[in-house]
Amino acid sequence: MPFRLSLWRVTMRVTPALALCACIVIFAPQRPAAQGPAAQGPAGRGGGTAAGGPAPAGQRPGQGRGREGVSPASQRRPQTVTPQSYPAAQVQAGQRVFSAQCGFCHGRDATGGEGGTDLTRSTLVAEDVRGDKIGTVVRSGRVEKGMPAFHLSDADVAAIVAFIHDSKATAETLLGARRTVGASDLQTGNAEAGKRYFSGACARCHSPDRDLAGVAKRFEGLALLQRMLYPAAGRGGGAAPAPAQVTVTLASGQTVTGKLAYRDEFTITLTDASGWSRSWPTNQVTFTVNDPLQAHVDQLGKYTDDDMHNVLAYLQTLR
Amino acid sequence: MKPDRHTCRLALALVVSLAFCGWVLAQELNPETLLKPAADSWPTYHGDYSGQRHSRLTQITPANVTQLTLAWAFQTGQATQIKSTPILVNGTIYVTTPDNLWAIDARSARQRWRYTYPTNEGFHIGHRGVALYKDLVYLTTPDAHLLALDAKDGKVRWDVAIADSKKGYWSTNAPLLIRNHLLVGVSGDFDNLPGILKSIDPDTGTTQWTFYSTPPVGTPGDPSGGATGGQMWMTGTYDPQLNLFYVGTGNPTPTLNGKIRPGDNPWTCSIVALNPDTGKLVWGFQASPHDTHDWDAAEVPVLVDGNFNGAPRRMLLQASRNGYFFVLDRTNGTSLLTTPFATVNWASGLDKDGRPIPNPAKEPAPDGRLIAPNEAGATNYRSPSFDPGTGLFIVSAHDAYGIYFFKPEHGAYGWAGADYNVSGKGVLRAIDHQTGEVRWNHELGDGAPSAGVLTTDAGLIFTGDTAGNALALRTADGATLWHSGIGRVGNSPVTYELDGRQYLVIGGGSALYSFALPEHAIASGSAR
Repeated sequence: MPFRLSLWRVTMRVTPALALCACIVIFAPQRPAAQGPAAQGPAGRGGGTAAGGPAPAGQRPGQGRGREGVSPASQRRPQTVTPQSYPAAQVQAGQRVFSAQCGFCHGRDATGGEGGTDLTRSTLVAEDVRGDKIGTVVRSGRVEKGMPAFHLSDADVAAIVAFIHDSKATAETLLGARRTVGASDLQTGNAEAGKRYFSGACARCHSPDRDLAGVAKRFEGLALLQRMLYPAAGRGGGAAPAPAQVTVTLASGQTVTGKLAYRDEFTITLTDASGWSRSWPTNQVTFTVNDPLQAHVDQLGKYTDDDMHNVLAYLQTLR
Repeated sequence: MKPDRHTCRLALALVVSLAFCGWVLAQELNPETLLKPAADSWPTYHGDYSGQRHSRLTQITPANVTQLTLAWAFQTGQATQIKSTPILVNGTIYVTTPDNLWAIDARSARQRWRYTYPTNEGFHIGHRGVALYKDLVYLTTPDAHLLALDAKDGKVRWDVAIADSKKGYWSTNAPLLIRNHLLVGVSGDFDNLPGILKSIDPDTGTTQWTFYSTPPVGTPGDPSGGATGGQMWMTGTYDPQLNLFYVGTGNPTPTLNGKIRPGDNPWTCSIVALNPDTGKLVWGFQASPHDTHDWDAAEVPVLVDGNFNGAPRRMLLQASRNGYFFVLDRTNGTSLLTTPFATVNWASGLDKDGRPIPNPAKEPAPDGRLIAPNEAGATNYRSPSFDPGTGLFIVSAHDAYGIYFFKPEHGAYGWAGADYNVSGKGVLRAIDHQTGEVRWNHELGDGAPSAGVLTTDAGLIFTGDTAGNALALRTADGATLWHSGIGRVGNSPVTYELDGRQYLVIGGGSALYSFALPEHAIASGSAR
């Protein structure tokens, strides 16, 4: 789903639950850090994208997620396209179902958790009208991304929809009060030192004048950091810019080259120039994989934290 | 005196009822059998008290494993992945997903009964399996209840709350039975909650004792430094001679905010040894003092007896989520060996007690810290296995990096920070438990693996890769001997012998698969 900001101006009707949350938020900044989030109820789980998640081999976490270049935590949420309001009782019912069925992956408050996206920042949720989009995803799942189909009653799905929209409205009032990484947090590096490091470690594949020209205009903050560390990492990182190439040599001596589509110990699959997938047993062919991202994996063991911040500072100058 | 008809009837009734009692008893689980489980059973989560997940069965060998064929498949019909260990007692297999328990005939794979727990608000993240005692089967629930069901028909005998799910507790735990103590743990690291483990009377459901890994807030003399957490969500192990129960504890809360809870935060991220009769702590060992990365030390504490550096030892082995392999003397918790078994960059060394020293510079920070391993950990709940023949500890490892953030605005409740996985890959590792050296590696694919490990006396390893293949490897060198693409393995495999045939039972996606050698091959003796 491509990221786009809606041009429509939207006003959410203030439900009683939202009004209550808004009251709490007014006082939140005055609270000591130790109590702030607690006052808003249980904190959801921040973090991992592929933590134990069933990401199929050959498809890197985050690959093909769209929303090119947008750091989920540092961007404004897409605004709800069609104003909707839901009875408080239905929202509460939805909270119960959501907490039990969806909470571990998407967080109790729908702001993301272990393996699941932040639904309050989802474009699909923003464009949903009374479940016309959310309901399909809940019922059918997104198996390729690790989300199973849920067999729930219509009432339960409707309640989940109500809760997600309500959570989105609530989250919008919080404006990054917790568990977010803003671009301003990431300004501790030294761009000069980063430039020196870049010329030694990165320049073999990258150039500030060619592939990275203007990279800081395309990515910022956490998304730029994630992309720098591993270009297919993270929810906001977008698709890998350079998919791995594989050349398979058949028993006949014929060679076939294409994009690496799948690989395990027993099968190698590529997508050839015509778009067809072709597979072979690994014990009947020979093959070589050229994965440009392997250099990023190797670099992870070499960076100090200062190196990481310095290179990020340098990349931020490439505007 | 000639017996009258009435006496005869009574005698007949007595004989019939005695015979019936005998039959009933044969279907029940006698706690003493857990000390030496029969080959036709897998009666507890780990198979026995040692946690070695090693079987003495040798019908399936490196030479004939290529002949393995599907004996049966059981479809749960659910979208949920099976993460539980199937339990086999008296010809019935019990397997679970959150809220669901199936009792399956081990011979036909026909469902004997199914129990579904009512809709509830608890977390439905996963479920590890059941425990049995006499004619009862025990099921923990997402809202932190413990149910005792009649093993015959799945009827609920009693239902007790182990912890308050409204506060944020849930349970995925497969309880462990030690004589007349049923040890049950809970989870709950979304909220600042004390770590709880309870001993429950398996007959009545009443609580015998409660162990707190971190005491309730305000407890006088609280050593935890203000930390909560340390949930004991995995099944422990037991040494009957020492009468000690061993269990790993989870991460402290708030999770990524370490500043608010100075010190080591005992007994979070620890291995604790408890007296199962009293619940008293006998000793504790912290695998991760002052954890700030969600690295539970809940992984299986594997019990091994043998020589270590020439002296006989009662050892405890753990490959911990923080990336370190520990060998302890399990009589007193002293360290015999600490060594990394996966990529790690967060410790500045080891202290005199063999504990990694957390590098303060690697605590989550506002501008991020690049950390190995990541939140998924260097391993996790998937079981390792110890092979006594080779002395190899086989663990499904994960070499991975993540970035960890914390700033004061993240607060001090629950997660209290943010972290993002960068990249990782799965590797099965064979560790020499005497030295910590890695004898061989077997790559499992991109991402964090989810399959546990089983070894057998025949020199075989059964596990799964990240792509969805069940694997049989040779223990000596990790070479692949057999595979089957059954879907992603989310549990730890088991094996048993029934009616003269050895079965391998392993989860693939939401189905349970049973593999064995062909019957004709066993009958003719050709499967050698």
